[in-house]
Amino acid sequence: MSAKYTILKGIDIAGLNFLSPVVRLATGEEPAKQMKEIGRLIVIPTLAFLAFFWLWAVVAPKHRTKSGEVPTPSVVWDARAGIWRFHNYETAKQDGFLLQGKERETELARATARIAEVGMLEKIARQQLTAAREASTVKFDTTVAPAKNAYDTLREISRESRKGRTAALKAEAATLNTATEEARLAFLQKLRDTQARTEIDKLELAKLKDRYEEAQEITFPEVKDATRANTVLAEEKQFLVKYIDMLGKDSRELKLAAAKTKLKETRTSFLTATEGDLYRLGSGIIKNEKFIKTTASSKYAKPWTLPKQIVRSLLCVFAGFLLASAIAIPIGILCGLSATFMAAMTPFIALFKPVSPLVWLPIIMIIIGGFMPDPENNAFLMFFDKVPFIKNYKIDPMFLSSAVTVALCSLWATLVNTALGVGAVDKDHMNVARVLRLGFWSRLFKIVIPTALPLIFAGLRISLGVGWMVLVAAEILSTSEGIGKFVNDMYTNGSSESFAQMFVVVFIVGIIGMLLDRIMVVFQRLVSFDSAVPAG
Amino acid sequence: MRQVEIFNLTKSYPNPYGETFRAVVDFNLNIEKGEFVGLIGHSGCGKSTVLTMLAGLNEISDGGIIVGDSEITGAGPDRAVVFQSPCLMPWMTAFGNVMLGVNNVYPHATKAQRKQIAEYALCAVGLADSMNKRPTEMSGGMQQRVGIARAIALKPTVLLLDEPFGRLDSLTRMELQDVILEILDREKITTVLVSHDVDEVVFLCDRVVMMTNGPAATIGEILSIDFERPRERTSMMKDPLYYQCLDHLLSYLTERAHLRTDPRIHDSSNLLGFTGAKVETAK
Repeated sequence: MSAKYTILKGIDIAGLNFLSPVVRLATGEEPAKQMKEIGRLIVIPTLAFLAFFWLWAVVAPKHRTKSGEVPTPSVVWDARAGIWRFHNYETAKQDGFLLQGKERETELARATARIAEVGMLEKIARQQLTAAREASTVKFDTTVAPAKNAYDTLREISRESRKGRTAALKAEAATLNTATEEARLAFLQKLRDTQARTEIDKLELAKLKDRYEEAQEITFPEVKDATRANTVLAEEKQFLVKYIDMLGKDSRELKLAAAKTKLKETRTSFLTATEGDLYRLGSGIIKNEKFIKTTASSKYAKPWTLPKQIVRSLLCVFAGFLLASAIAIPIGILCGLSATFMAAMTPFIALFKPVSPLVWLPIIMIIIGGFMPDPENNAFLMFFDKVPFIKNYKIDPMFLSSAVTVALCSLWATLVNTALGVGAVDKDHMNVARVLRLGFWSRLFKIVIPTALPLIFAGLRISLGVGWMVLVAAEILSTSEGIGKFVNDMYTNGSSESFAQMFVVVFIVGIIGMLLDRIMVVFQRLVSFDSAVPAG
Repeated sequence: MRQVEIFNLTKSYPNPYGETFRAVVDFNLNIEKGEFVGLIGHSGCGKSTVLTMLAGLNEISDGGIIVGDSEITGAGPDRAVVFQSPCLMPWMTAFGNVMLGVNNVYPHATKAQRKQIAEYALCAVGLADSMNKRPTEMSGGMQQRVGIARAIALKPTVLLLDEPFGRLDSLTRMELQDVILEILDREKITTVLVSHDVDEVVFLCDRVVMMTNGPAATIGEILSIDFERPRERTSMMKDPLYYQCLDHLLSYLTERAHLRTDPRIHDSSNLLGFTGAKVETAK
């Protein structure tokens, strides 16, 4: 088999069919046909996406919210950069805190040099901002100022005339006490007319106000860009100040060294002192020793950043998914094998399948909380603190609750599909098994499960998709660190930047969900013998 | 020596109205050791029912079947079946499919011995080069060869062939018939073949059991095919007896299958032709 067909086979198994005309075109196979395929599978979807982005960019700014206007694609793209910068800064601080010796000094020198550079850049950026603001003021004066003037003038005039009218009416009213009924009615009519006049004035005023506000809303992209550049530099400067601290006076190495020097001094004075409070000196030594011990293993308390939250969410969804599979596959097999067992399970499946994760979660949190009244010293949770990689993601009761919720909501698809697959075992194959007198386990592992595998994997694929959707909801509710928590934090924050970052999350969740689905598709194809690779 | 004894075999199905539908009644047949018996009849006459009962895959309503010296109670590897469809496990290679039975039937043999048995069976059906292919990579004929290898690897007392070549094209069918003949000439396994192909039964069988039309089907006539073994297709097809046997079977199926008489025994001395004419034979 040539390399070309190996690649095409791989593309087919991965379900990335849009790539196969590209490969075929590259090898010069029927160019006209391939171009047509590329048009259908690549160009059209790309155009559709571009149209979507264009529509988004046009429509979004039209709606104002309390967190500013709905972010456009470019704002969302910048927000993505912001999330990533924050992550990189925090990772740098975490690593910097642990650096030692020469490495630390080199890094410190580098950071110090950079902060001077940033200072320069910031100065330039500030000048640019001032210039942009001045330019925009001119623009403001020509467009907004006349409208504002017109509005202000009219407001003044109408207020004055209203005052005059009211005063005249009040004066007239004072004379009415002796007037006839007709005169009184005439006054009432005059009062009505005046009120109507005021209403008309108000409407006119509102019209002018709209015009003025519209003019004011003309945005000034230069100012926006300059402000953003300034913010980015300010962020970096703030980071560098902290970073230099981490590498310098706050670094673990220096803290330890200082503590050790102090310990030595205290020791010497304790051993050699001829006067003074030896009790105080002695306990000082012990305190110092303790301090050294804790400092030696201390770490920078890095806040949760989105990339780390994503990894934790993935861990959580896989934990839930494994739990769901461990429950659903055996029960599904039993259901498929025994009609009686299936009859017993049917009401449970029908009853619990539609239950929302938002109902399960609080219940499960309370149940798990009952098992782990003291999470800090729980043996089960402490076990995870020793597992490499996982120990960085703090397995807590919230994490377990989210995982169990994911499992409870996602296991049904696998269960039903497994039962279906096991039930669909070929009668001829069972006859073969009877002739060969295969035992129960042989039948199960050699015939039943292989037959059911493609359907089991179809179920697992649905389960993983459901699990991923459920997880984000569960994390929002349980405030378990993860993507959902990030969204919740951004929602609570309410700034226009965090509004844009929520949009970033939409795409991240979508892309990860898509990748998970693709992975399951590959597994599903690998286990299904129907589409087995032809001879070659 | 008698290998299989079928006595008063009956298959009846109760229908939902309290009546019973009788598919096969009073089927009596003795099969000698090493004999090759064919079952032929119209579609739906119950020939496959008899075979599946013999295999133990179908419950016996009345009567019984003795294989060797004990009555059968269920399916087992002493009565290996080659099904109409190959019934291979698509997730296993040809070798794996044969080993599935071998592992179960020879639990005390060493791994090497079992491997040898499976390889021998696959070589016997001419698949020495395709042992590691999966069913999806094989033609229908090759798949059926694996089915045959799986059956003979069990060293069965009786080999049951349930229209094994029914779904194959005629060239492949002839190849496989030769494969079967070659194996049986060597192994001398008692065999029962269900078929509706008269050429096939005449070429392969020692005796052909003709069944009457269903329902309540039973044995109509039994014809001995008096050809020497080992048989060879071309020389057999030059022999007028071959065609007289064909005539007898065809005339039974078209003219006498609906009759209810006691089973009649025929051989080359009293062959019948169409319209019941007696045939004079050279022998």
